[in-house]
Amino acid sequence: MTVDLVVAPIGAVVAERAFDALTREDLARYAMASGDTNPLHLDPAFARRAGFPDVIVHGMLTMALLGRLVTESFPARRVLGFSARFGAPLGVGEAVTCRARLGGRDARGTALELEAAAGDRVVLSGRALLAPDATHG
Amino acid sequence: MAIDRRHVGYAFPTFKVTVEPDRLAAFARAIGERDPVYSERIAPLTFMKVLEGEHGSSRKILEVLGVPLARVLHAEQQFDYVAPVLAGQVVTVSRSVVDLYEKKGGAIEFIVIESVFTGEGAEVLGRSRQLVAVRNPSPEARP
Repeated sequence: MTVDLVVAPIGAVVAERAFDALTREDLARYAMASGDTNPLHLDPAFARRAGFPDVIVHGMLTMALLGRLVTESFPARRVLGFSARFGAPLGVGEAVTCRARLGGRDARGTALELEAAAGDRVVLSGRALLAPDATHG
Repeated sequence: MAIDRRHVGYAFPTFKVTVEPDRLAAFARAIGERDPVYSERIAPLTFMKVLEGEHGSSRKILEVLGVPLARVLHAEQQFDYVAPVLAGQVVTVSRSVVDLYEKKGGAIEFIVIESVFTGEGAEVLGRSRQLVAVRNPSPEARP
């Protein structure tokens, strides 16, 4: 789901996508590809010692899904900034929905307020700044 | 187990990393990215985190600060983009610890690590700022 950023009201959901739950294999593949082999994401015994019921998803993997939402939804816009706060852990096997709301528009560009949520638990909140639309000034 | 504040300003030795096309493709697959623009040509938005982690730099910075891996959580991440990072490009990465502070009477300490990414002509491609949270055991639980 994508909405035109030029006409959408502030606060409107302008992009949203539900992603399949991430599996242990997904986490292992991300660990290999990213070089982040922290056992918190791979080894259930290590994760339990760190105080979690099971391995947790790399925050950077959840952030990457939000990044995909932004670049897939607004392919014509250059991204100037992208930030995330990892507010709560996302466990392996939990499905996540990524959402972007229109935060504001000014001369610097268009701000998006981002979140990734498992059910109604927000695991990541963030922002992206898109360059002004060349065709709309 | 407070982190020594004299580590503010610590700079990891600057290094160069090549954006290998195979590696870019593997990263795109790992995040489910199917657009060939982001698997063959331009690095996805979060790929700068991969570049800055080269040479085990993230773990080595924690070692210098004396922080065990089991106590750290990635709390926040910010990227600023000046120019796209391209497949085949050689990127120079400079990382440093720019701040250290604590909350809850030292129960949680925070490490702020910044990276600057530059291209072959020394032009800035982007910046990364990472906030790492370190969870310290309560004083009565300490050995």
